[in-house]
Amino acid sequence: MAVRLSANYSKKLGLPQYSSHSFSASVEVELTDLNQVESECQKLYQLLQQSVDQEIQQVGFVPDPKQYGQKGSSSGLRNGFHRNGNNQNGRQFRVHNGSQDRWACTDGQRGFILRITNENNLDKQEIEALAHRLYGLGVKHLNKMQASQLIEELLTLAGKPRQSRWHQQPQQQAA
Amino acid sequence: MTNLAVSPPQKVERSENEILTGLQQTVSASRLTLFLQCRLKFYYRYVLKLPKPKPASLHVGNVVHATLKAWHKARWIGTPLTLKGLHDEFSKAWDDQNKEEPVDWQGEEEDERLTAWRLCELYYRQSGFEHAEKPDAVEVPVETDLSSHGLPRLIGVLDLVQQRKIIDYKTSSTTPNSEKVAHTHEVQTSIYAILFREAASIREEGIELHHLVKLKNPKLCITQLPPMTDSQQNRLFHLLEAYLEGIDRKDFVPSPGMGCASCEFFNECRHWN
Repeated sequence: MAVRLSANYSKKLGLPQYSSHSFSASVEVELTDLNQVESECQKLYQLLQQSVDQEIQQVGFVPDPKQYGQKGSSSGLRNGFHRNGNNQNGRQFRVHNGSQDRWACTDGQRGFILRITNENNLDKQEIEALAHRLYGLGVKHLNKMQASQLIEELLTLAGKPRQSRWHQQPQQQAA
Repeated sequence: MTNLAVSPPQKVERSENEILTGLQQTVSASRLTLFLQCRLKFYYRYVLKLPKPKPASLHVGNVVHATLKAWHKARWIGTPLTLKGLHDEFSKAWDDQNKEEPVDWQGEEEDERLTAWRLCELYYRQSGFEHAEKPDAVEVPVETDLSSHGLPRLIGVLDLVQQRKIIDYKTSSTTPNSEKVAHTHEVQTSIYAILFREAASIREEGIELHHLVKLKNPKLCITQLPPMTDSQQNRLFHLLEAYLEGIDRKDFVPSPGMGCASCEFFNECRHWN
């Protein structure tokens, strides 16, 4: 009986301006004996990793953040950001070293806001509008309390609201 | 912070020492208050985590909080709730809470439900919030690291911040005395003031305790407190030190007193030695 062993290795790397690129390689081999599986896996893993690592160093085309994503419909912009983060919406959230782009909240809050947004395909323009509606400020100008409130709203938008705060406080009188 | 990319981690049983270390690293107003009230009760609840049925009063308090939260949120985004809308939110909160952790009502659910709704309705009519006046925050989690003082991280959730005033709702069965309330809630109000100052980078205008009293004719009692003073902050820091040292020593002795009558760990406490 022929034994087929299929191996796949993929790697995704972040690039500046919230871009990323990834590469994967797969291979299938035929074995004559189940006892070969362990050593073959080891060999294939090394081979695939080495090959992927070698190729993924070629970054290829990275769009100019000043130009990319300036045109297009809002849905296009949203999709564009989700794929590589280099659209108009994304720029509103981008952090540079310059003081004018520094966020007022903590680094942890900034990272969390970006992560919830990206992982849940939330529309950055809508989030910016939400911050304005709540506080009359852009996202990066929110202080720690305001950012915390925004995070609560984003989690709700993403369908992942935090558990009720009172859930585990079995007191005679709710505080 | 929540990790959204992966499925929730499996619950890992922690040793008592690990639990105690965690309790020393992060403190909330309810934890500290309970420790100061009765260390054994604190031990049963936070260290041993003895399961206890959810009391009806907690369910009522939770539903009132959730309903008022929905009301203030709606007010904030410019779509204020009508009384009917408030009742819809109330009904939803009641059912959600029931699903989350059921209560053994013993035939009293309808009475309790009516009581809870009357509190919400009373607050809606009498709290005096202008629809056009936007809150600064509604039900917002905040935290601050006091390690520069040799103290733990403080965490808390502010019910409402309006015009730089920190507002906390309470449901109670008796009418509060304003002077006593200021004292008995000083730990909580001081913690909230510290949290607010750190999170908003401004000093609070004042603190208000809004007691919704579950009487036959329910009433709203608002206790207005000035901003936290330096002396109150010092007192809080001393209490936090005592908390840390007490946990270090595993000092979990009971504090017999009037509060024992309603304590859910009464039976466990009677067997303590």
